[in-house]
Amino acid sequence: MGMRLIEELRAIVGEENATDDIAICTSYSRDQHWHFVPAKNPAYVVRPGSKEEVRQVLMLANREKIPVIPYSTGINVRGLTIPVHDGSILLDLGRMNRIIEINPEMKTATVEPGVTFGMLFEQTRKYKLRPAFPDAPLTVSVLVNYYLRGIYQTAATDGHDHTISYEMILPNGETIKTGSRALSNMPYFRYGVGPDFTGIFCAHPGTCGVVTELTAKLYRLYDNRKTYFIGFDDVSTPQKFIYNLMYDELAASIRLVDNQSWLKGICGTFDYPYEELPKFVLCVLIEGIDGIFEAKDKLVRAYIKESHGKVLELPHEFATTFKHESLGGAEKSCMVFGLEGKGNYHCIGFYGPLKLAARYYEAHEKTALEVGIPANNIHFYLDPISSFHGQLCYFELDIFYDGSDPEFGAKLRSYNDKQFHKLLDIGIYGWFRPYAGIIEPTVERIGYLSEVWKKFLRVIDPNGIMNRGKLF
Amino acid sequence: MELDREKALSAIYHCVKCKLCSIASFHPGDEWLPLCPSGQYYGYQAFYAPGKMEIFRAILEGEITEPSEGLLNAIYACTVCGACYEKCKQITNVELGAPELFEAMRHEIATKGWILNEHRGIAAKIKETRNAYGEKYKYDAKSTDSNADVLYYIGCTARYRVPEIADAMLAIFNKLGIKYQVMDEEWCCGSVLFRTGQVEAAEELVAHNVEEIKKSGAKTVVFTCPGCMKTFKNNYPDMGVELVHATEFLARRLGNGMNLNKDDMKVAYHDPCHLGRDLGIYDEPRAVLSEVAEIKPMKREREQAWCCGSGGGVKSAYDGFALWCATERLKEAREAGAEALVSACPFCKRNLREAAEKEGKGTRVYDVVELVNKGLAAGKSNNF
Repeated sequence: MGMRLIEELRAIVGEENATDDIAICTSYSRDQHWHFVPAKNPAYVVRPGSKEEVRQVLMLANREKIPVIPYSTGINVRGLTIPVHDGSILLDLGRMNRIIEINPEMKTATVEPGVTFGMLFEQTRKYKLRPAFPDAPLTVSVLVNYYLRGIYQTAATDGHDHTISYEMILPNGETIKTGSRALSNMPYFRYGVGPDFTGIFCAHPGTCGVVTELTAKLYRLYDNRKTYFIGFDDVSTPQKFIYNLMYDELAASIRLVDNQSWLKGICGTFDYPYEELPKFVLCVLIEGIDGIFEAKDKLVRAYIKESHGKVLELPHEFATTFKHESLGGAEKSCMVFGLEGKGNYHCIGFYGPLKLAARYYEAHEKTALEVGIPANNIHFYLDPISSFHGQLCYFELDIFYDGSDPEFGAKLRSYNDKQFHKLLDIGIYGWFRPYAGIIEPTVERIGYLSEVWKKFLRVIDPNGIMNRGKLF
Repeated sequence: MELDREKALSAIYHCVKCKLCSIASFHPGDEWLPLCPSGQYYGYQAFYAPGKMEIFRAILEGEITEPSEGLLNAIYACTVCGACYEKCKQITNVELGAPELFEAMRHEIATKGWILNEHRGIAAKIKETRNAYGEKYKYDAKSTDSNADVLYYIGCTARYRVPEIADAMLAIFNKLGIKYQVMDEEWCCGSVLFRTGQVEAAEELVAHNVEEIKKSGAKTVVFTCPGCMKTFKNNYPDMGVELVHATEFLARRLGNGMNLNKDDMKVAYHDPCHLGRDLGIYDEPRAVLSEVAEIKPMKREREQAWCCGSGGGVKSAYDGFALWCATERLKEAREAGAEALVSACPFCKRNLREAAEKEGKGTRVYDVVELVNKGLAAGKSNNF
């Protein structure tokens, strides 16, 4: 008689690192997105400590056709690591948390999946470098966030394509390396080794394999920094100003937020009469080396004069928090989870052109009100992204709510059903996250590409073990 | 302590699982400093606050109906130090009440009989001997005045495991000329029973201690053990007496006739969880300690102090984990440039001292009252 699966898993990763205990498995059964993706336990939680252990677990799962869900920190994943099928193996990669290399000369970092943005920045700042930060807590995984989408916007100048190359173990146990990593021990360039394989494996609703090592770009930290907070009464008025800042590449961070949600996070306190400020506030951060910094500041001040906005005199510590949160990782800004003690938030994050900002906002407000969401729960922000071709911006349509209220959850599902289609009808570039609910109506519209996508996944993962059921 | 199911579920559903509760404030120091001992040690999500809440949800919603080994470990291998919730509050303002929630969770499962043998054993010892260590001898202490306004509640750990703390406190009273009472029949305060969910087993202890204190006529009860003090404050009926920690009691006397001789020893102060996060007493121990030694600040302090590892029934059931926590703290003290780590809790001292002895790196461990007693011995005039 063969070994039981749990025994085989323990033989690979050690007794302490594989379990089928119901309580331990339950702790992985839900994430922040539970109003949309119901709780479901994995059957096993396995914590590999090395690439070889990952490879052996994947080969075992492939042999037995068992769904595998890679998981790093489990934060902000919108249901992506919640199993769909019974009997799944959740592969908790938290033990693989080495920063393999920080290369200041190349301006890169190479990390394992368990490395968080906080852990990485703690080290990179010693070289006056930083990663591109998401608007997620700095407890999230660097590797997974970059692998998931590879584009962030808390610093506009970071642009996109932060991921350079990675190493991934496929379900059949083979290892593939993307970019220049495939050719040499220099993992510092993404292109030129055939097609852009670094991109093709990213941004699936599941994963194509298990990424065990990823090299990402780092960006400079400057000593010279200055911030401005400029108030506007609507979303349209500041567009010309934002356009000018982006066109002339003047500001490191440009964030148009409403005064009742993310502004509080950016400023780092609930304790301020934000309601007395204009409804929208443009937060601008300038940085640079001596000479260039001053020149940028001069130009920004000139643009502010013609912006029709109101320069706000906010407490000094607000500027400090803004700098930390934009260029050092989101921590205080996660206070938005607690807006009015509500404890959860829903957002649709997507990319589109700046010129459609007012239409996106209008659609957001209208749909939310239609499904019975109160006006004071409806929030919005946008961040432009360099190099601004196509007026590229990240938009976030937010709804902050009481996570313990199931009726509100039902309203949000109704909101989603309507809003996904509305946004696709208005026209967007793409979604921030390829999660369940948002990806299905998208796939309906992408024509033959969806067939190619399916075939691609079948080649890579013929037994369909990687996050089975997340899309096809 | 009684579980309000709806309230508990509401709290659980308010957690968005950002896990910022697992690290100390990152900015502006930009340092990654873990804050959750059990999550850091055991690694599985179940050992971090969001994972524990998920398990509790599954119990309340009937998805978990049997006690597995993992369930007991996830719930009981937690010092209930409260650091997670202090961090969460600082960021979000969301009302989760995590330590209380975890204690309610323990009570809920203990009521089902899901309890560790080690914790059952402590309850049995208390029943038999009225102290948590099952000791059958009496710690030798006598009241100096049976009508004194001050009563020193010694506590099981200072009586039976780190008597130098009780000795020091009694010596301080004597040196300061303060008349005091100690209880002829001091029973365990019940802290360990409340913390491990065995609430009903504590009822008799509470009744006895309340009766004895009322009979004493004391106006102020002084504690060297913050665990006992927290239990008196939170789990006992109001007895109409003042409950003060030794460091509060001593801080009031600074600059008021109490002369202390300052040593040139460099020390780090370890905030006991019950004294700091639970009772909000952070300044008084530092004020007193700074009069007798040079304090070197550690990276994780006050609301975000790293737990010593011994609370919540962990020392008795998971000693290896408890000692690992203490070793982490000792390292942090040395990194701060301290020769000694000073706490204000017998439970902390016991675990930290044991870890220091095991690692053998020469870091000394004291309680604040020991250093005060030493400082008073060299003092000139100490009359009240």
